[in-house]
Amino acid sequence: MNKQNNKLGWLFASPYIIFGLVFFLGPLLWSLYLSFTNWDLIAPEFDFVGLDNFRKAMAAPGVQSAFWVTYKFMMLFVPLVTAMSLAVAVVIQGLPKFKSVYLIGFFLPYLSSGVVASLIVQGFLSYNSPVNEFLRGTFGINIDWLGSPFSALFIVGLILAWKFTGYYALILTSGLESIDKEVYEAAAIDGVTDRQRFWKITLPLLYPALYTTLILSFGVTFGIFTEVYQLTGGGPNFATNTWQMEIFNQAFTNLQAGYASAIAIMASIVTFISIFVIRKLLESWGKRNGWV
Amino acid sequence: MKKSRISLLLAISLVGGTVLAACGNGGSNGGQSADGVTTVEFWAAPNPPQQAFWQEMAKEYETVNPDVKVNVSAIKESPSSEASIQASIAGGNAPTVAENINRGFAAQLSNSKALVALDELPQFKEMVESRNMTETIAPWEFADGHQYVLPIYSNPMLIGWRTDFLKEIGYNEPPQTYSEVLEATTKLKAKYPDKYMWAKGADLADPTAWKRWFDFFLLYNAASDGNKFIEGQNLVADDKAGVEMLTFVDDLRKAGGVLAQNATDPFETGAGVFTDIGPWTFDMWATKYPELKYGENFTLTLPPVPDHMDPADAKTYADAKGLVIFSAAPEASQQAAAEFLKWVYSNEENDVKWFKQTNLPPARDDLNEVEGFKQILAEKPELAPYAEAVSKGVPAMDNPKFNELQTLIGQEAFNKVIRGEIDPQTGWNNMKKAIEGEL
Repeated sequence: MNKQNNKLGWLFASPYIIFGLVFFLGPLLWSLYLSFTNWDLIAPEFDFVGLDNFRKAMAAPGVQSAFWVTYKFMMLFVPLVTAMSLAVAVVIQGLPKFKSVYLIGFFLPYLSSGVVASLIVQGFLSYNSPVNEFLRGTFGINIDWLGSPFSALFIVGLILAWKFTGYYALILTSGLESIDKEVYEAAAIDGVTDRQRFWKITLPLLYPALYTTLILSFGVTFGIFTEVYQLTGGGPNFATNTWQMEIFNQAFTNLQAGYASAIAIMASIVTFISIFVIRKLLESWGKRNGWV
Repeated sequence: MKKSRISLLLAISLVGGTVLAACGNGGSNGGQSADGVTTVEFWAAPNPPQQAFWQEMAKEYETVNPDVKVNVSAIKESPSSEASIQASIAGGNAPTVAENINRGFAAQLSNSKALVALDELPQFKEMVESRNMTETIAPWEFADGHQYVLPIYSNPMLIGWRTDFLKEIGYNEPPQTYSEVLEATTKLKAKYPDKYMWAKGADLADPTAWKRWFDFFLLYNAASDGNKFIEGQNLVADDKAGVEMLTFVDDLRKAGGVLAQNATDPFETGAGVFTDIGPWTFDMWATKYPELKYGENFTLTLPPVPDHMDPADAKTYADAKGLVIFSAAPEASQQAAAEFLKWVYSNEENDVKWFKQTNLPPARDDLNEVEGFKQILAEKPELAPYAEAVSKGVPAMDNPKFNELQTLIGQEAFNKVIRGEIDPQTGWNNMKKAIEGEL
């Protein structure tokens, strides 16, 4: 019986294992190998260069900027998307009916193309857009939205927050739905205020769902590409240069696949360590408050 | 039992591998199919008129050469045509021929042994002579003495001026020296504080390598009388001209004459007075901005020059592109491609057709002599300045690291000067240091 279960388990797990081997482990090992070479993506021959690519990457302004920009995006995007998705979830959960319709509405941006959203924003913020014409005509101010480091960073963060709010709201709504109504009823009998109800009941019981969305949103900041590629190209002055942008530029613009692989390996290590630390911090925060 | 499972897995892998390998090679056998037909995969520029021209050529050629099939398709532009070509080579699906290749990209490709040396093909000499392009092709020779690109068009970039706005500030002719442009900027800002003299949108502040062809090199070639920027592995830039040019850009910015933020068609909508214009623009204008008429509200000139230079002799950047044959293609396909190109370029009527359909001046020595070209220039007067300026166009550098080098021009100097973050001399020095480090 046990042996049969074991076989069945392997059978069901095999698609994921095969997928992982072909599309994750294989490319990872290939990338690791390439990171020690000077392959230019198309040449039939290339040399083994040892740790040169890693040394070069450590000193490169593009890589250094990618490292810091990720954390800047994190500081902007995570609070923004968490607050927005929490607000959406709470409001939708309080609706008497058609909750799923509203949820789908907020979820749609997640399905939309990042390229299209970026192009719309680009048109919206161009020098001669109605918004800027109005600002210039009425207040005499001209803002170079995508040309100054902070506003460029903020706009990309805002697009991402808009895109992911519905997705995280969906997770949080299911978290809210799973909270037993009797807890709220008991609290009402005890005369707790709305604020107390949110901080003392909703938030602790929502913590598992919130933990998931927080980890997911921290993860998003390590993979930003489309919006940055489309809107700012990583500029101005590397202010929005992300890991993915740097890897893309080195591999497909400068034809340095070996060097780009080294950056990709570095990005993976940084991402792994950062997410590990963030996860530990969130867990200890939950434990300290007695939520887990 | 165990052995049979392993055998089964091996069998599946072999079958799968064979199928995938067949897909990768397009199922071809040295470029020739079983019925003796040789296929040439031709990637045309992602520009409908160019694509239409090559499709027409392919169709005509197939009628006289039924043993050759020329498949014309547009190069995918996402994320860029260069990246699509690179990806196809890396994936083992390179075409036989591609157009839309500039010298810098060709240098990258030839450095990776991805291109056929055209001068080693028996058809090359005949093609160059019959197309009358001996002089035009000479500067396309690469550092190793080979020719890897057959230039199709050589297109000197010109400056478009909104003469309607210039007239309103008292100019019947565009300003052509640095002082004249700065003086006109002062007058423009006094009358129209919202307008800019040079408006190219965010491109001016963007470090993307290819954007430097249409701002930095346009002005540098004019200021340096076409002095080379990089020769082989050496930076040979003209320091005086470079700093002078960046100082002009800086002065223009200080006078409020530069719009370097994202803007939709700033020249066409009247937010700016001058910008670089290529002849491919006119077909787009005919449908999108029909109110723009050459000689009525816009004109074309060579780029502005320092005060001590003659504007009439100004050099400019030549957006010149051509055809390459890929070494990964089967031998038979390479030969068939060379024969096809020889056939196309043995008849000058085909170049006339090209010029008519695409507005791009063919890379020939006799552009102002052939009757067909003369007729087109008479019908489309806006193309005449391009034909006249062909000899003044300086093509892109042929260094395989052109992307990195041109990115450094933007990052270290041009973009920073445009944004007022650095003075021209420091920017130039930083750029030189960074480029020399990369070389």
